[in-house]
Amino acid sequence: MKKFLWYFTVTLLAIIFMFPFVWMLLTALKEPGTALVLSLPKKLTLYNFKKVLFEFGFSRFFLNSLIVALSSATVSTLFASLAAFAFAKKSFFMKEYLFWLFIASMMVPGLLYVIPQFLIVYKLGWINTYWGMIVPHLANVFGLFLITQFMRQVPDSLLESARIDGASEFKIWWRIMVPLAFPIVATVFLLNFQFHWSNFLWQLIVAQSEKMYTVPVGLAMFKSAHEEAYTLEMAASSVSIVPISLLFIFAQRYFIEGITQGAVKG
Amino acid sequence: MGLKNYLFLFHDKEFWWALVVTLYYALIIIPLNIVVSLLLAILLRKRYKLNSMYRTFFFLPFVLDAFVVGIVWTFIYAGRYGLLVNILKPLIGSIYETGFLGSAKTVMPSVALAMTLKGAGFGMILYIAALDGIPKEVYEAAELDGATGLKKLWYITVPLIQPVTTFMVIIGIIAALSAFAEFYAMTGGGPIVYKWGAPLGMTKVTGLYLFNHFSNLRLGLAAATSFVLLVLALGLSITYSKIQRKQ
Repeated sequence: MKKFLWYFTVTLLAIIFMFPFVWMLLTALKEPGTALVLSLPKKLTLYNFKKVLFEFGFSRFFLNSLIVALSSATVSTLFASLAAFAFAKKSFFMKEYLFWLFIASMMVPGLLYVIPQFLIVYKLGWINTYWGMIVPHLANVFGLFLITQFMRQVPDSLLESARIDGASEFKIWWRIMVPLAFPIVATVFLLNFQFHWSNFLWQLIVAQSEKMYTVPVGLAMFKSAHEEAYTLEMAASSVSIVPISLLFIFAQRYFIEGITQGAVKG
Repeated sequence: MGLKNYLFLFHDKEFWWALVVTLYYALIIIPLNIVVSLLLAILLRKRYKLNSMYRTFFFLPFVLDAFVVGIVWTFIYAGRYGLLVNILKPLIGSIYETGFLGSAKTVMPSVALAMTLKGAGFGMILYIAALDGIPKEVYEAAELDGATGLKKLWYITVPLIQPVTTFMVIIGIIAALSAFAEFYAMTGGGPIVYKWGAPLGMTKVTGLYLFNHFSNLRLGLAAATSFVLLVLALGLSITYSKIQRKQ
């Protein structure tokens, strides 16, 4: 009985949580013009997907999203793990103070970086470029924090013996530290990818011509331009949501690990 | 030059209004989010079969884009043809025409509910970790003293997971002060209400207020707003965690 009640409750909750996305996908698969009819689709069609991807430019927006998210996530994860190596295993001027300062910066709401970052990117002439979309977010404090915590546990003797064997510091980072910290480095990469895939406000500000739009920016512009085309809008939303959902389902373990680690230690 | 922009903010009705509606939003979403997260965590502590599948369902929306999720909800909340107004038609009167996002009374709770369903998985993960950290002996001792389900929850579980709750409140304050994408997608700041002798946006939160200055190229004002919000976010977070520590 208790077990039955449990299954009943969690199933009901799961339906509530998943409903918007099921409804989105169903609407996206409906025939055009039938979105407002409150029924399940009579015939499933990929018409809406074909239309948004190839007529409304969403294949290009998708590619842009992918370029921005992949390159930002890759480079910022590399930077974070380089800095983490220094913070975990080196001593330098004001190290503890600097680390504390970085951590404190996590308390600043992301929205408040937008204006100063915009002014810098504008002066550099990077508005409407991939550079403008990618470079301002390459320093990633949360990732630095997670990887540093992990690298601190690597025994110094391991690094010493590598040095005796003549390994350079760069080689120690790449051949010893990164492989040892791999689970957490992968976590940071995924969290960064997810962040950049969804970094709507910044992309809205920097991408000003259609060829630079990412998927959410394309959706925002689409919204104002085609008020009645609900099936198309839901297809475009699916283009944004489905890939990140699949990535999440396969790599869920890493996402959860990162969040738990971050909260417990922070 | 100098303090001109700050003086403008100080005298700007819309700025104070933005703070008021942001506070209203925070007062709805922070408790709602904490209650739902904790409920999910307590449910998932039971390790029945399919537990991890349900966890995936609850956590998945958290990794999605607030703007895109907002667009999907706009479709569900819409008036006339929207799904919810048609299900609830006999109960909601004029909301059938305006939709849940078109009525000043329902718009804020509706956004808060949508964003809770999107974000509660995050709190759930934290609460699961915190609940796992409570030793069994504590509950066993309480049971010997005759404590039952709800009493155990209120007198043992809730105090012992206080650090996570504090963290959730602080993150919630920061998130409310910088909420943008969800409101941009779902309300655009509307609907308009007449308060303080002027037409004001019922959901024109600080994030939208800031963006409005920015998109009208009033960069000085946008920067001043950013700074005031930063001081507020840090001030509120520090005050709250100090009060918690004293208790």
